[in-house]
Amino acid sequence: MGNAQNAKAKIEMCIGCHGIPGYKASFPESFQVPMIGGQSAKFIEGALKAYQKGDRKHPSMKGIAASLSDQDIADVAAYYSQQTASAK
Amino acid sequence: MKKLLIALACATVSYSAVAGGNIEAGKALTEKYSCFACHGKDFNSPIDPSYPKLAGQHKDYLVHALTAYKRGDAANGRNNAIMGGQVKALSDQDISDIAAYLHSLPGSLVSHR
Repeated sequence: MGNAQNAKAKIEMCIGCHGIPGYKASFPESFQVPMIGGQSAKFIEGALKAYQKGDRKHPSMKGIAASLSDQDIADVAAYYSQQTASAK
Repeated sequence: MKKLLIALACATVSYSAVAGGNIEAGKALTEKYSCFACHGKDFNSPIDPSYPKLAGQHKDYLVHALTAYKRGDAANGRNNAIMGGQVKALSDQDISDIAAYLHSLPGSLVSHR
């Protein structure tokens, strides 16, 4: 079970890209990084695990996902799933 | 020279069509490929929490994701049984149109810290 409170110490790796509206990834392709706030926890968990496993191949996200434990992933997923337009 | 200018103009137009994407054409494609069957009629309420909300998502990210599914289990790709099948028949123009349509929809996704 993810704990959004516990995620606060773990999202430092996320906010440098996903916390900046309009931030663009530049390698290997250039695109605005996705908005992840408001996605379901289950989807975020699945995406992070797919980066870990290599089913999603993206160098930066693979490195970040590989550094997370299952509990870290659950906490981060809970944290971002609770974001709305008004509540952070 | 005149021919060259016309060729350049045509190239510019077709490039911007791909880059911009056609919302109406994209809507028709999402109906043709039944994207809503998983991602929800409004593309903001997927039928299962393991599927993402797409409404309002950045257009260039959607193009990147769909293109990655098309590459499949290769460099810079995504290996996913369902999405790999869904995108197989899509051209770059189709992908651009679908992305333009999904981006145009009102959604609840946010970028916060």
